Amino acid sequence: MSHDGHHSIVIPAPGPEFVPHTVAHHFDSPVQEFQACKLGFWLFLATEILLFGGLFAAYFYFHEAYPETFRLGGQQLNWKLGAVNTTVLLLSSWTMAMGVRSAQTSQKKATILFCWLTVLGAAIFMGIKFVEYKAKYEHGFLPLFGGFEVADWFKDTHHVMKDVPHGHMFFAIYFTMTAIHGLHVLIGAGLILWIIKGASKGRFHAGYYLPVDLVGLYWHLVDLIWIFLFPLLYLVP
Amino acid sequence: MSSHPDTAHAHAAHAHAAHGHGEGHHHVASAGLFLKVLIALLFLTGITVGASRVDFGSANMLIAMLIACVKASLVIAIFMHVWWDTAINKIMFLGSFLFLSLLFAFTLADQATRSWDGPISVQRAPVAEQWHHPALADKKP
Repeated sequence: MSHDGHHSIVIPAPGPEFVPHTVAHHFDSPVQEFQACKLGFWLFLATEILLFGGLFAAYFYFHEAYPETFRLGGQQLNWKLGAVNTTVLLLSSWTMAMGVRSAQTSQKKATILFCWLTVLGAAIFMGIKFVEYKAKYEHGFLPLFGGFEVADWFKDTHHVMKDVPHGHMFFAIYFTMTAIHGLHVLIGAGLILWIIKGASKGRFHAGYYLPVDLVGLYWHLVDLIWIFLFPLLYLVP
Repeated sequence: MSSHPDTAHAHAAHAHAAHGHGEGHHHVASAGLFLKVLIALLFLTGITVGASRVDFGSANMLIAMLIACVKASLVIAIFMHVWWDTAINKIMFLGSFLFLSLLFAFTLADQATRSWDGPISVQRAPVAEQWHHPALADKKP
């Protein structure tokens, strides 16, 4: 019996620049390993949808309650920087999709190149996000350092949001959602760097590209969230 | 010969026969399709910005979300390969949006059916009253 769990299953390397993959011992077959890991990852992504979904529900609730306040808040953000970041994330989603495709077709150099381009996209995105956060901090939009009392926010009497009814709600939601999204960008970039390391060793090829696939899915989710954040925060309808 | 049918083994055998390697269920989308999706996504981003400049009243939100949903569908179906994925994975991921819609439906139903005259701290000021607020008076479009 070859599938009794005592013999490891090895997926051969398609070329000298690649290394074979040994199926983890607790799986019966390569298909089982692939499908079990992928199903588990989709389950994780479903929880991510529900995490961000709760925040989007909060957005819609308060947007409905204070539409004018939200519109004024959105006008304080730089929509051009938001649009550039949207473009950067869409491009990086494409480079990631191409990276996964390159791994599927055993193109080692292309896999590494597309992954680096994706990391570059993440770096540009976070750089622009830093510029935006810095400007918002300098103009007194960050509620945290004003204290936890709502009355302490927007202390400056000339502040554009001063005395705007529930003006803090828009920025509380803006910072919470973009910060959690930004954290996902950083984690995603870290995971892609780990993929680059593995790809350099020749671990990923047509016979085994599971980690590239899963990290790719994570990166596309980051893009997916931003597709909704951009119009809701920067172009408040 | 095992007396218990094992579908995983059967699939593995099929994958070896069909593809010559071990994983099975591979779908490699064409690079041309990925490029078309990217162009569509960038185009729709432009449409999003353009549509936000036109005052459609309360329809602006609907239009923005419809475009975002089209973009999201492209990313999910093509970039995330869900179009070619197994039924269980489709159910797992797309099912999360079903449960999310329940959260949205009940939250917004609550929002829409509240009587806003009670002593609730998150009470909604009537739109006109918000505009008459001194801080917003000079910012009326």
